[in-house]
Amino acid sequence: MATAGKVIKCRAAVAWEPNAPLMMEEIEVAPPQEGEIRIKVVATGVCHTDLYHLFEGKDKRGFPTVLGHEGAGVVESVGPGVTDFKPGDKVIPLFLSQCGECKFCKCPKTNMCDCSWSSNYHDIMSDPTTRFTCRGQPILQFMGTSTFSEYTVINQIAVAKIVDDAPLDRVCLLGCGIATGYGAAVNTAGVTPGSVCAVFGLGAVGLAAVMGCKNAGASRIFAVDINEQKFEKAKVFGATDFLNPKAYDKPISEVLAELTNGGVDFSLECVGNTEVMRTALESCIKGWGVSVLVGWTDVKDFSAKPIQLISGKTWKGSLFGGFKSKDSVPNLVCDYMTGKIKLDEFITHKMSLEQVNDAINLMKTGDCIRCILNISK
Amino acid sequence: MATAGKIVASSLCHTEMFHLFEGKDKRGFPTVLGHEGAGVVESVGPGVTDFKPGDKVIPVSVAHCGECRFCKSPKTNLCERSWINDHVDLMSYPTTCFTCRGQPILQFTSTGTFSEYIVINQIYVVKIHDDAPLDRVCLLGCGIPTGYGAAVNTAGVTPGSVCAVFGLGAVGLAAVMGCKNAGASRIFAVDINEQKFEKAKLFGATDFLNPKAYDKPISEVLAELTNGGVDFSIECVGNPEVMRAALESCIKGWGVSVLVGYTDVDFSARPIQLISGKTWKGTLLGGYKIKDSLPKLVNDYMTGKIMVDEFITHKMDLEQINDAINLMKTGQCIRCILNISK
Repeated sequence: MATAGKVIKCRAAVAWEPNAPLMMEEIEVAPPQEGEIRIKVVATGVCHTDLYHLFEGKDKRGFPTVLGHEGAGVVESVGPGVTDFKPGDKVIPLFLSQCGECKFCKCPKTNMCDCSWSSNYHDIMSDPTTRFTCRGQPILQFMGTSTFSEYTVINQIAVAKIVDDAPLDRVCLLGCGIATGYGAAVNTAGVTPGSVCAVFGLGAVGLAAVMGCKNAGASRIFAVDINEQKFEKAKVFGATDFLNPKAYDKPISEVLAELTNGGVDFSLECVGNTEVMRTALESCIKGWGVSVLVGWTDVKDFSAKPIQLISGKTWKGSLFGGFKSKDSVPNLVCDYMTGKIKLDEFITHKMSLEQVNDAINLMKTGDCIRCILNISK
Repeated sequence: MATAGKIVASSLCHTEMFHLFEGKDKRGFPTVLGHEGAGVVESVGPGVTDFKPGDKVIPVSVAHCGECRFCKSPKTNLCERSWINDHVDLMSYPTTCFTCRGQPILQFTSTGTFSEYIVINQIYVVKIHDDAPLDRVCLLGCGIPTGYGAAVNTAGVTPGSVCAVFGLGAVGLAAVMGCKNAGASRIFAVDINEQKFEKAKLFGATDFLNPKAYDKPISEVLAELTNGGVDFSIECVGNPEVMRAALESCIKGWGVSVLVGYTDVDFSARPIQLISGKTWKGTLLGGYKIKDSLPKLVNDYMTGKIMVDEFITHKMDLEQINDAINLMKTGQCIRCILNISK
């Protein structure tokens, strides 16, 4: 490519400060260094964690930044020492790396690669170094990905190569939300055939968790959300029962316990709200119930009474659905291509990068599931 | 189906202290405390066929009916008929076999072993070997299986792993013993009372930490000493701050933290703790299905696989119960054995 080895000037949506609209800018993207890959981003989803950083976390040290971590694109050029990728390859950037060498990558029980920004920098939600500049200052790469930009540079340990015929404007969703929710159900919770599940929060991650419970053979899947408009789509993904906590005088955990003779076998919290995390645990049956935290927040503690765990419930959590990222994303892409998992059904809007603030607003008001932004013209 | 037992020996466990001094729920009084006892069957009610007068037994505070879906599940010991399912506020059933001065007196955790005689449903009674010395094996009624099982069953300590036990009372020492028997390569014994370290060493602890000796949180100290955190941590105090520290001391990715000590105040942590791959669990009576497991534990004691005598620091009569309570309060005992029957 003619751009190889040179700085690329391109369009990006920059978040200059917390709690403010993103600004369309021209940024400079440096060429990839040792082990890095420069990617032309074709499409990206907007995920709640992008909004979390902007509106909830609001840690000023994490700004200015280019958000976006659910993207797909094409390799533009590779840095020295990169042999597994070449220009033209279809790829998905990974916010969770898989170096293959650290003790976490070597352990089958976890996907928490030590090299990921999340090991050391989960407060600023990026690596401290960046390949982006704009108006003379460095701009952070959110979650190491920054897919609200025409080009990004990522270390190869955080890039997954996928099949050539994968439609990038669909499979970008496997960069986060869908893998996160689906994996939380099939990997972290370990939903078993015939079991009873409850999914709290019916955004993309929750719907993906419903899909995971369904694929794992759950006999009953309670879809729980205070926005009843979300129930219809939850049904598409396999939910069997629908509960709006605001419709009851008593806690939803009591409602669930009554409906299930004691509580659910597996519950998944896909909101990122500490009260819902508590409720999700309390909704589990004692003895063997398992509750999984999927939704992210870092501004508050979650809590419960010790009897909840002492009576035999287990509290877990996962990042990226517990999937080892580089190994799993290409397989998930194939699962989509063969119809084993759904992706198209998550997409409610298609827009251009310039409309990113509209997408963010739709997300805020709960009027979308996934907006796909076409990045490259 | 009731069994009446003559209690021969009982010990004092911290859960008694919790009810008396921390929980203090008035609805749970008046009561006869004591739930770690051993005795002899005096008589049985109609329909009791598994026990006869003279049998040596340990009454326990967690039922094992064998028939409910929880007893039938291999994953749990939380029998549906246990008092704890519905009466955790009273810490007993609302009905009792005891009266005193004309009023009913509750049986703490359905037992009440600070009494020469108790009547208890057979689903709470475990028959043990005739040779078992009752003034030792009474400890297998609660504290020891609770801690030991927390390590070997609930945490599932694996050979070569690195463990941390927070709180070195009887339950913590039993957890240390469990980690050792499960093959842990390193066992950190953590307590703010350094006098407890010596006994922890006896049970197999390899490292000893007093959180008050450090300027930084003990979880950071442990993370530095273990290249990221421990594989298994076990909270044997019943303090929410320690529960948090125990979770934070685990390594991300696969660390497992188990709540053993009891309190009814919230525990808490940041979501990143679980989202980074740690697991938080808890256990009652070490996860043991008690009717199946207690006879085996008695046998393990008799054959030297587990230690019991080493927990005993004092022997007293029932009349000296308040002295035993004071020793417990001031951390000056591990287990006081009370001889109940004259």
